[in-house]
Amino acid sequence: MVPFLGHGIGLRTKHFPDLLEQGRRADWFEVITENFLNVGGRPRAVLEAVRRDRPVVLHGVSLSIGSVDPLNDEYLDDLQALAEAVEPAWVSDHLCWGTFGRHNAHDLLPLPFTEESLAHVVSRVSEVQERLGRRIVLENVSSYLTYGASSIPEWDFLAEVARRADCLLLLDVNNVHVSATNHGFDAAEYLRGIPVDRVAQFHLAGHQDLGTHLLDTHDAPVPDPVWALYRDAVRRFGRVSTLVEWDDHIPPLDEVLAEAEKARGFEKSVLEEVAA
Amino acid sequence: MNLAELQALLHGRITGMVAGREDEVREQVVARPPLDGLARVEIYAGMYLHRLVDAIAEDVPHTSRVLGHEAFVELVRAYLHEHPSRSPDISQAGRHFGAWLRTYSGIRADLPDLALLERARSEVRTAPDAPVAGPEELQSLSADALPGAHFHFSPSLRLLRLQHDVRKLWDVLDGDAGEVPDPLPGPTTLAVWRQEFKVFHTGLSEREARALMVAREGGSLEEVCATFAGEPEPAHTAFKTVLSWFADGWVAAVTSQRV
Repeated sequence: MVPFLGHGIGLRTKHFPDLLEQGRRADWFEVITENFLNVGGRPRAVLEAVRRDRPVVLHGVSLSIGSVDPLNDEYLDDLQALAEAVEPAWVSDHLCWGTFGRHNAHDLLPLPFTEESLAHVVSRVSEVQERLGRRIVLENVSSYLTYGASSIPEWDFLAEVARRADCLLLLDVNNVHVSATNHGFDAAEYLRGIPVDRVAQFHLAGHQDLGTHLLDTHDAPVPDPVWALYRDAVRRFGRVSTLVEWDDHIPPLDEVLAEAEKARGFEKSVLEEVAA
Repeated sequence: MNLAELQALLHGRITGMVAGREDEVREQVVARPPLDGLARVEIYAGMYLHRLVDAIAEDVPHTSRVLGHEAFVELVRAYLHEHPSRSPDISQAGRHFGAWLRTYSGIRADLPDLALLERARSEVRTAPDAPVAGPEELQSLSADALPGAHFHFSPSLRLLRLQHDVRKLWDVLDGDAGEVPDPLPGPTTLAVWRQEFKVFHTGLSEREARALMVAREGGSLEEVCATFAGEPEPAHTAFKTVLSWFADGWVAAVTSQRV
């Protein structure tokens, strides 16, 4: 399994000056892989400075593990080189697809949950893990559509990918809430379907309610229903490295750190409750 | 519909590369009130354009400001149709935007050049790091080896051949002060580079631009110096120019086959 890193935040350009001046105040940092591939200058210098003091996790958005396109060799080579340089605690990406015909949609598009998709994803995860020489961590995405062809519940699909490919899971609690609301499934059933020993990390974030659907925007504090689901997740999975994502309308560093502290507080109270 | 067919359908619809096929989309994507299957796919289509407009605007903030939001969005939409993003890194989506703008009429004549300058500055800001060589690397070569010396330039150095001099336009827009000047047509060569974390650009004379191109293409010091033939003091001018490349941190290394 992977180490418990505590409660971290995403490394974002807006916070570079504060992080350099005030020290690296979060337990750990998650960096968007693509922002640091073959990159020098200030971003690379900040990443190296942060890494000297704190654990870092590489979180990709472009692996496109579910795409029918061939795996992108150049991308995997670059990822491998970055991982060798940064020595991340782990490398994660999303259980989704985003490219077709090498044209990148730059989105995390949901897969149909079918036996065909399952076999396809399992084979590609195995190939990526072999290439990188490490187990990868896959995140459940938020979604706004489902397919008529899907025959497997999302949580079972995720669990089966992890089991067959021997990879780990990043459980995005906000994404479970967003998708449960958009598609009308039970978030608690989702959590119950995820194997405890496969979860390496939690994500927390905010979203927007657009009336017709929830949109996963990462532009607001974590809302109460997501905190409630996080407490349920801690109850089921125990202590799991937790990260607060904030990618748009990013507030000052202290505000993001306060969200990570809030997560720490909820985790502590749930674990005390469980222990009692 | 198998996985490949489904991805082709959805991807085409989301990126706007394939028009129509609404009935097939509705057949594949589950309707859940209040949204039918097509409306659910359109959520992704809207985000696709919005995300790429933001990414390209980040590259060319002044160009997008001069164009205005609506015109910029329409230009990006047309650009993406011809240059769909092929890189996993969204910041690369706009790498052809300036050159593509040159093919587009009906906009201010110097905007393609402004976009090219802005894109180069953006690339340079995060270009891979490299060591910075000093003139002593050249001076340490023997007299015999000196003419055959080759320069290896920093990956953060860019040379731009523009059709307008957009330096003043960039200054006004970047400083958010002063009157936007009229387009200044005429061939202009700019060097764009980074020292530490700061990005610079400067104009080059035709002579220096030619010398730099020769050096970047692997020409020897002797060949670089030859580009200054015809100057009043060619050797002096050549060495002064080459020394300025070191002073600005453009040179990463000097090698010679005869040392």
